Amino acid sequence: MLGRIARHIASIAALVLIGGLLSATLVRMAPGFDSDERELDPSLNAESVHALRAEHAGENNILAFYSAYLRGAMHGELGVSHSLGQPVSRLLGERWPVTVRVAGIGLLLGWVAAALLAFVGCLWQRPLYHIFGGALSGAFLCIPAAVLALASVILNAPGYLAIAFIVFPKIYRYSRNLLGKSYALPHITAARARGVGEMRILICHVLPIAGPQLIALAGITVSLALGASIPVESLCGLPGIGQLAWQAALSRDLPLLVNLTVLVTLVTLLANSGADVMICMTRPRQG
Amino acid sequence: MIGRRTKFHFVMCFALLCCVGSIATNAWAQNGGDLRFCVRSEPKTFDPLLVDDDSSLSIRYLTGGVLARVNRHTQELEPELAESWKVSPDSKQITFKLRHGVHFSDGTPFAADDVAFTVQRLMDPALHSNTGDAFRSGSGAVTTKVIAPDQIAITFPAPVVGLDRMFDEVAIMSAHSAKKEGAVLGPFMVAEYKPGSSVRLERNPYYWKKDAQGRRLPYLDSIHIDIQGNRDVEMLRFKRGEIDLINVIDTDYFDRLASSSPQLVHDAGPSLDSDFMWFNEVGNAPIPEYKRAWFGSVNFRRAISEAINRDDLARIVYNGHAQPAVGPISPANKFWFNSHLKAEAHNPQGALERLKADGFHMQNGTLVDKSGNQVEFSIVTNAGSKARERMSVLIQEDLGKIGIKVNLVPLDFPSLIERITHTFNYEAAMLGFRNIDLDPNGQMNIWLSSASNHAWNPEQKSPATAWEAEIDKLMREQASTADLKKRKQAFDRVQEIVYEQAPLIYLINQNALSAVSTSVAGASPGILYPQTFWNAERLTLNGTTTAKR
Repeated sequence: MLGRIARHIASIAALVLIGGLLSATLVRMAPGFDSDERELDPSLNAESVHALRAEHAGENNILAFYSAYLRGAMHGELGVSHSLGQPVSRLLGERWPVTVRVAGIGLLLGWVAAALLAFVGCLWQRPLYHIFGGALSGAFLCIPAAVLALASVILNAPGYLAIAFIVFPKIYRYSRNLLGKSYALPHITAARARGVGEMRILICHVLPIAGPQLIALAGITVSLALGASIPVESLCGLPGIGQLAWQAALSRDLPLLVNLTVLVTLVTLLANSGADVMICMTRPRQG
Repeated sequence: MIGRRTKFHFVMCFALLCCVGSIATNAWAQNGGDLRFCVRSEPKTFDPLLVDDDSSLSIRYLTGGVLARVNRHTQELEPELAESWKVSPDSKQITFKLRHGVHFSDGTPFAADDVAFTVQRLMDPALHSNTGDAFRSGSGAVTTKVIAPDQIAITFPAPVVGLDRMFDEVAIMSAHSAKKEGAVLGPFMVAEYKPGSSVRLERNPYYWKKDAQGRRLPYLDSIHIDIQGNRDVEMLRFKRGEIDLINVIDTDYFDRLASSSPQLVHDAGPSLDSDFMWFNEVGNAPIPEYKRAWFGSVNFRRAISEAINRDDLARIVYNGHAQPAVGPISPANKFWFNSHLKAEAHNPQGALERLKADGFHMQNGTLVDKSGNQVEFSIVTNAGSKARERMSVLIQEDLGKIGIKVNLVPLDFPSLIERITHTFNYEAAMLGFRNIDLDPNGQMNIWLSSASNHAWNPEQKSPATAWEAEIDKLMREQASTADLKKRKQAFDRVQEIVYEQAPLIYLINQNALSAVSTSVAGASPGILYPQTFWNAERLTLNGTTTAKR
């Protein structure tokens, strides 16, 4: 058991490190990586322009940069953001709570709405209801995340609503199909024929079958919500990790982007690992 | 039954109440209120000497105390923390006589050693301050001599032209305060900073300035600056009354707002800003040799300039809120503009004549050079700038009429900078120049052939052409004399050369457009930065707005 846990932690660490390195490589290869808009400032003299260029020189060799970054990270030093001129650890510390709140509430609302709609649909088998649910989720699936974010700005609605509407259709469609398949199983039809109550069927027979996959979906939706927080926070002016990621990408801020990639990879992997653990715990034991 | 006498008393009481109410409302308007507006990016620094972005510039303007300030309305230099000053005839030294009884926002007194500290820090080469670099006209150390607590002499190693006006951008820091940049001499001080969200400025209780009635300025209690990069959201918030002003508003938004609420928008006329395009003339740029020959020809550049219909650019792209540009100095810059020059007239026939002189000719409706190469080039510009993207399209159409094929390449800003400053992998580029400095000396790094911002062919070891050598000579001449007349003559000639040679093809000077809510009293939007809140210390909010917030 301990060996499995150790292997799992090692694989998470390896994935995080690879994710960080890939991110650093992509940023390094991106056009405009070693440019700085301050170079266009006519009041800067030649020495200052050369000093600006020298700031980026240490990042040209990506392996050297990444090993220096890892050495610093071991001592709690995450580097300094080029675009914002502040320590990355401070920036992450200030912005993380906003994203946790916005993405967290959005995710919760999305899940509640989708799960309710899917459960009611399974309990109340009406074609019209399925058409309505399908059309509603289809409509939200078609609308780009940025448009939903802009709508929340125009309507003066909180940003987490936009995230809820972004994750809702994905959760709804998957959970509806999952529950639908579970309800179609022969033993459930038999239970219904024997007059077992719908709530009992749901709790005792459907959820044990669909539950593990729904938990796995929950893990995936964490990364979905984090991805959605980029356009939502940027457009709604919410000072979270998503907005920071957008600014960092636009300004090719290598230290900030590497740290954000590491953080998001870590959160995603931990969420999925948490889901795996829950699946193991809820799986009926044999023997 | 109410008697006549009682009625009279009622009327008198009512009138008295009205008077008291009116006085109270007026007093409220003169004192208090929270002005709100947006900046478009996170301020990169609160250190006034390291400011290089618009947001930090706004905060420095509102919090920093300067020795002398350029009046944004009259463009004249006026005393602030310095009561008077004297520039030496050789423009190497300036002596300031400082105001008495002035204190920083933390209560520490202001004296000459604060000015000395600020100047020494500003001129530290390791700081790489763009404000400091503007003073650096020669090698050697800058010395400061505190003559008396209220008097200081600053000596530069070489003449610095327009020396006194440059102190408009030097916010004085305290040499003694533990708060460092937190101790300020301006009307407001930073009270709260929420990263990514907002900056709240509060009135500086020690601000030295008083109004004509002897009341301490500023009138406002605070200024709330929201960080909002999205212009649609900024506009929406302005319409909802959540913010009080938009410092620089895009033409589309301006016209939309003007159609519904004309009293809210202000067009102050041509600004100092300009849009221009240029061709890549870098010797080792990765472009075909025959194209390098086109771009190096004055006839080709002038022909392109003549073929562009600037009136259309101003009329269609800016809905009339722009003027055809003449050259590096906008007509808004009253003193330095060369009024003998006129914007290049739209003349496609003249353009073809010039091209013919270089061996270009039409072949099946397409322009080809003397070797038979079809004339085709691409213009890179920054994606997301609606105005520049639209201008590119119009230029594409204009040049299409004389048989030239233009490909448009919008790039994100870092990619664009990389191409025009590092790889030189472009053929033509279009950008804008946001000018906050009236003095042409601020453009030294554009016009000197050795400068990194000499856009069309930067960092030349020696001038590639005779006219660039002449510009070098003229720019150095104007920078070495304090005689304004001689400086003007030299820079007038620079403007003529730029007009004749067209290394930068100036397109338009956009107007200074802004929006100010009717709840703000005392606003007088101008063309110089910061357009709407340059007199923030005297702005007031009406009582209703203050009460609502």
